[in-house]
Amino acid sequence: MNAKSSTSVKLVLLGEAAVGKSSLVLRFVSNDFQENKEPTIGAAYLTQRCTINDRTIKFDIWDTAGQERFASLAPMYYRNAQAALVVYDITKPQSFIKARHWVKELHEQASKNIIIALVGNKYDVVENEEEGSEDSKRKVSIEEGKQLAKDEGLLFFESSAKSGFNVNEIFMAIGHKIPDTSAGAASVNDNRNSERVDLTVNNDSPVNGNANCGC
Amino acid sequence: MSYIKSERRPSMAERRPSNLSGVRPASIVPQLAYLELPPTSSTPEEVDVLIIGTGLVESILASSLSWNGSNVLHIDSNSYYGDTSATLTVEQLKDWVRKVNLHKVGYKGFKNASLYIPRMNQHKIVSKNYGIDLSPKFIFAKSDILSLLIKSKVYKYLEFQSLSSFHVFENDNFEKLSNSKEEIFLNQSLSLKIKRNLMKFIKFVIDWENEKEIWEPYKNASINEFLTQKFKLEDAQTNEIIFSLGLCTSSQLRTPEALQRIKRYLISFDVYGSFPVLYSKYGGPGEISQGFCRSAAVAGTTYKLETEITNYDLSRNLVKLSDNSTIKVNEKIVISPSQVPAIFDDFYSIYKKKHEQLEINRMVAIVTKDCKEWIEENENAGIVVFPEGSLPSNNKFAVQVVVMNSGSQIVPEGQAVWYLSTIETGTKAREDLENALKLLEDSIIRESNIETIVASEDIEFKNGMASISSVKLGSSLLNFTPTEKLNYILKLSYTQMTTIPHFGVVNPKLFDDDAKLDVKNSTTSSQIQDTAEDQLYQKLTEKIIFDSMPSSELSYDGVITEAKALYAKITGSDDDFFDVDFEEDDDDVQHSGSQMNGGNTTSDGSSNGINAAVDDNNESAIVEEDEDEDALLMEDMTTSPIPTNMASDDIGKETDADIAIESEDEMII
Repeated sequence: MNAKSSTSVKLVLLGEAAVGKSSLVLRFVSNDFQENKEPTIGAAYLTQRCTINDRTIKFDIWDTAGQERFASLAPMYYRNAQAALVVYDITKPQSFIKARHWVKELHEQASKNIIIALVGNKYDVVENEEEGSEDSKRKVSIEEGKQLAKDEGLLFFESSAKSGFNVNEIFMAIGHKIPDTSAGAASVNDNRNSERVDLTVNNDSPVNGNANCGC
Repeated sequence: MSYIKSERRPSMAERRPSNLSGVRPASIVPQLAYLELPPTSSTPEEVDVLIIGTGLVESILASSLSWNGSNVLHIDSNSYYGDTSATLTVEQLKDWVRKVNLHKVGYKGFKNASLYIPRMNQHKIVSKNYGIDLSPKFIFAKSDILSLLIKSKVYKYLEFQSLSSFHVFENDNFEKLSNSKEEIFLNQSLSLKIKRNLMKFIKFVIDWENEKEIWEPYKNASINEFLTQKFKLEDAQTNEIIFSLGLCTSSQLRTPEALQRIKRYLISFDVYGSFPVLYSKYGGPGEISQGFCRSAAVAGTTYKLETEITNYDLSRNLVKLSDNSTIKVNEKIVISPSQVPAIFDDFYSIYKKKHEQLEINRMVAIVTKDCKEWIEENENAGIVVFPEGSLPSNNKFAVQVVVMNSGSQIVPEGQAVWYLSTIETGTKAREDLENALKLLEDSIIRESNIETIVASEDIEFKNGMASISSVKLGSSLLNFTPTEKLNYILKLSYTQMTTIPHFGVVNPKLFDDDAKLDVKNSTTSSQIQDTAEDQLYQKLTEKIIFDSMPSSELSYDGVITEAKALYAKITGSDDDFFDVDFEEDDDDVQHSGSQMNGGNTTSDGSSNGINAAVDDNNESAIVEEDEDEDALLMEDMTTSPIPTNMASDDIGKETDADIAIESEDEMII
């Protein structure tokens, strides 16, 4: 095994519409880690690698693709997700209530060991406000966020997809918590007794239709 | 062919050069961009196509329309995806059975559903550890659905496993299929002459279309006649070829149709490894439906579950939904037969009269045995077929059984699902299915106790390795009296209707509905003019398309044909069906280098390290016998954390005791 190990992590996004889920991911995937990466049209999900200590984590980031808007997320979405971002907008209390709902949903639907990060987005809006000011645009205090994270055992960040504040930090923190599967886990894997067929490794070609027949 | 292009109506993609067709700005990220729209107008007020039901065909249709620029609203009256091809938990199944028998919207097209759960099991069942397919299917390695899964990238949402065990039940044994020349050669039970004839046949069938002189004289004869007369094969072989390779349900099937089915198996062998079929983990068509729905959503389709039509204004094309929104549907409304809303009941009953309804009878049994005796090592599923006449009930049609155990993640550890189906009808069907179930039951008890009762003559030596094979059951096994009773977690049976002919390839005309013509023909005697009712019917058929219930096919054959036919009916042509340039992920391309040499099962190699470009590289490397290992990569630990299904272990243990199923214990819904 290489000194540098690589782990693939399925990460799902959750949160009310327009809280900035996609912007967070776009910020993470495009600007800071890789120059001018154009997200692929028709991509099943976005991917981004980052290196933490001496291992590479490849995030497969699944967007809800709008299927959450009418509570129509398929079980497939949660399946085998190892990490989730539950995003709310710190200027919209309703989105924070919704965030609680998504955390609950994750506990019910997703695997037990899922790493969840609670993210209060749009920090840029309140960045220059004085603390406790009367007409603050902030409607969800940082303490409320922290408390929910503490109660539910979540990572917690306030971030800004617009300015990039704390965006990479969220993913790095998740990456740190992902167990290293390259070494010890292989043996567990063997016991699963369930091969997966890789559809891209294909013996087929137009001329060998009679593959089975060559004697 | 250019005249077709000029005559046909422009496709929707052409009529609306939207963000996905024509000149495509590279920066558009459809799946992300629209999410940032203000949340207020969450339901589109106007759509091109409304699709009702999230079954397999409808999901593929939604995805294809969406990727070609149509604006699609996709709704389902149920709270889950998949409709008639859904994968259900035990709780959902209970509800399903209840509603089928109440003929509720979302459950039409099924009848006579009954579910039996021994009372002792009820509290032990962890509902969500089960995923029961309403219409189980598997994928031939060389098939249109597989190509589409790859092209559309939907395969990335799924995990596939191989299936190579095809058994035919005969003389109280499960004959394992000899499907390669090598196996035929090694099979000591075959005479040299038979071996030669078998090989000749296999060679012929791969290219049968071009060997007309061989089959033409038999083109109206049954496949059985063809095999016995032309290739001098005996019952044991013809049974295998017809029922196992061909998965035909009758030996009377016409020769060309049967040959096509047999060929399908043989050309699929060795495409991804030494197995002919694959299936998706966690459930079959139910999972694939979800995958295409996600694909459709990425392309912009709006999804609403638990939603039905409550009203329809034909003159203004306005549809009212149960969530009180009103939508204008510019093009067509596609409706799954299971979800026909009450307002269209009359309309649909006329439609039904004009489309022959065929029965498929299904039974699902979950047993507390892993059934590994019928499953190849390192696999989790197998096929068992009871050919015609092999059951005590003297069955006219084959009973086909798909066996899947916990490795396919649809049942807990130590259990297996048996999906039985037949195209026999009525009470005879029920009798055949019960007979087959009994034989499966006896066989698995016998074979899973093989270690304790095996006699020396039961052991055969294959390639120097001792193996106990059900192919040659010795007398000690045949005379085995079971002391154990098989424990069922549940038993489900139901009848499903379909308009897709058995065996047949889906005819694209299936959805053509020349209402005027048909209505007139059927009413000639009563000299009725175009009544108001007729006119209404005709107007509705211009707007509304009923698609069909799943076919009796165990494979996905016909599904793409059907989706394409619907697509053409909506857009005018299927020329641009999934004609989308799905770009390669940069990531994949980078990754391919390490993927190729990673035959060893590192976590990296198995982690979806996917590159369709690899296909091209392989074109030249035709077939090397031992490449199978490379194709089968161990599942990546990181993409499927194990501990989620822990609860399942308990079930297996607790239900191990040999408690007889008493009728008082039954819970029948």
